[in-house]
Amino acid sequence: MSLLDIADLTIGIPRGRATPLVIVENASLRLQPGEMLGLIGESGSGKTMLCRSLIGTLRRRGAAILSGRITLAGTDLAHTDEHAWRDIRGRRVGYVPQSALAGPNPVMTIAAQLREAILQGTPGTDVPARARELLDLVQIRRPERVLDQYPHQLSGGMRQRVMIACAIAGTPELLVADEPTTGLDVTVQAGIMQLLRDIRARLGTAIILVSHDLALVDDVCDRILVMHAGACVESVPANAAPRHPYTIALNRSRIELAEPGAPLLTIAGQPPSVGDWPPGCRFAARCSIAQPDCGLGPHPPLRGEAHANACLHPERAA
Amino acid sequence: MATDDQQAARGAFLRRSLGRLARATGVALWVMVIAFGLIRIAPGDPVIALLGAEAPPAAIEKMRRDLRLDVDPATQFVEYTWGMLHGRLGTSIETRRDVADIIAESLPVTLGIIAVTLVLALAMAVPLALLIATRRSPIVPYVFRATTSVMLAIPTFFTALIGLILFGLHWRIAPIIGYEPGFPGNLRFLWLPALVICTHLVPVLSRVLHASLVQTRGEEFVETGIIRGVSRLRFAWFYLLKPSLAPSIVLLSYMVGVMIGSTVIIETIFSLPGIGRSLVGAVINRDYPLVQGIVLVFGLFVVAVSLAGDLLANWLDPRVGAA
Ligand SMILES: Nc1ncnc2c1ncn2[C@@H]1O[C@H](COP(=O)(O)OP(=O)(O)OP(=O)(O)O)[C@@H](O)[C@H]1O
Ligand code: SF4
Ligand SMILES: [Mg+2]
Repeated sequence: MSLLDIADLTIGIPRGRATPLVIVENASLRLQPGEMLGLIGESGSGKTMLCRSLIGTLRRRGAAILSGRITLAGTDLAHTDEHAWRDIRGRRVGYVPQSALAGPNPVMTIAAQLREAILQGTPGTDVPARARELLDLVQIRRPERVLDQYPHQLSGGMRQRVMIACAIAGTPELLVADEPTTGLDVTVQAGIMQLLRDIRARLGTAIILVSHDLALVDDVCDRILVMHAGACVESVPANAAPRHPYTIALNRSRIELAEPGAPLLTIAGQPPSVGDWPPGCRFAARCSIAQPDCGLGPHPPLRGEAHANACLHPERAA
Repeated sequence: MATDDQQAARGAFLRRSLGRLARATGVALWVMVIAFGLIRIAPGDPVIALLGAEAPPAAIEKMRRDLRLDVDPATQFVEYTWGMLHGRLGTSIETRRDVADIIAESLPVTLGIIAVTLVLALAMAVPLALLIATRRSPIVPYVFRATTSVMLAIPTFFTALIGLILFGLHWRIAPIIGYEPGFPGNLRFLWLPALVICTHLVPVLSRVLHASLVQTRGEEFVETGIIRGVSRLRFAWFYLLKPSLAPSIVLLSYMVGVMIGSTVIIETIFSLPGIGRSLVGAVINRDYPLVQGIVLVFGLFVVAVSLAGDLLANWLDPRVGAA
């Protein structure tokens, strides 16, 4: 049985009597225990919104689940009230918010923040011992030094390690890390990625890793879910050749980047913005193999099992 | 281990404190020079103010000699500084009383006004700003801004007079004259003047704090607090107020520093024997030593309050002054 099952999830912003502003439409994903999933897509594709639905902070942003199911090992997360979220956050779902630099509370010492996370995850624990253990786990050397410091005294990489330590304090089954390496140096990025793999290996935590960077997640994840303009367009096993034209284009831009002297290739055009989605496939305006039927009906759903693809003409893609 | 860090931190703190002390001494010296110079540049003469313009020239001459006003200003300044270094502020020309005694009598009254004002202002502004910043209504901030603008537009002396008429004469719940030193008896005389000052202080303070709170509210780490499910009280303090208060505290320390001189209007209207009124009397009488002594106290007060404000802001938000 899968750990997390998201089916036909639509997230949007209710607007009184007007139709809601849809931000994520019919998203579906399944995650096995201990699986590591990369979630990628351009800025604004709805990655963070999807993550927020897993930690119950949509309402704070004025958003809501409009339809669909989220089930975490038998628990319905789509219809959870604020009270019930308290037992889920930190204990069953750990969350590392977007942006490493702004994540920790700037006016609390690391010790105080770890303490909050520990007491939430496992009330009645020996806090100092557990804090050391957690800092050890996220490979922070000299933990006694870090504990008394404030976030601004730490480097970005250290801050992100502390945020990860806080997120796993309650040994959750699922860890959601929203762009944990954006804004960090490449070497620091690699360290954080390695750390997430270690955590998965040691604790068996399933991880959803959000990123802009296909290459980065391709290296560390088991599977990659690609989002484009609020829709899931492909679920591709790591290191498998992508089949959706959008993913192919993302992948190509990455390969050509790797060749010395190659011009920087990005995908032409912009994704359609929220509230402005055309009918049919939302990639059509940017797709080189678009066919007349691509612009008809609702956005095509993901089809297939291990390697699901939303493109209507996979045979033409290359 | 941790000790070198702590030692380094303590060293840095010590250096900063010493630097501040040096700066405070510098400010005090400048205040002395300016107070000394300004009152002498101002037209008028303490002896004539005291004896009258028709006094016999011989008497005027003798008094001038007794007060050592006949020597040149540079010598006067050296003598004044010399006295200061020995803890002597001099003697009032008008009353022949020790300047230090006069200050010791009137300063606590003004400090009392300021302290009560501070407590009331914080007690009103902080919950108000917090309440408005945490409501998601678009109309409340608008009403708040409009109301505070109106309050700021009404001069405090006018509010003071209205307050005196309403609370003092009409409802008779505030004494309109007299003052008794000593806590808590003095509160009876201080609450109304403090409230009047608050009609300006609370709007400014709550607006600045509201702006900081709105900014903090949108920051990423606030969501962390929600996700961790911390208690309401803990959330309000550690995730909203503590990261937002520093700019308000710095502003407040500045405003309080200025307040010691500006309470004079309030002291006059409420007939409180504060230091502001003493200064006005001293200036009218050209009471050089008293003017110098009081202005020096003002200067030291401003320096002390802004230092306290900096330290408090730094304690609340360690990012302040970390650079
Ligand atoms: N309160 C809101 N009102 C209107 N639109 C919103 C609101 N919140 C988010 N959106 C829109 O929803 C879309 C998805 O946002 P989201 O933050 O999930 O994107 P993302 O994929 O995480 O992007 P990034 O990579 O930049 O973090 C964006 O286009 C954003 O403008
Ligand atoms: S559905 Fe059509 S437009 Fe969309 S990616 Fe496939 S071929 Fe391109
Ligand atoms: Mg995002």
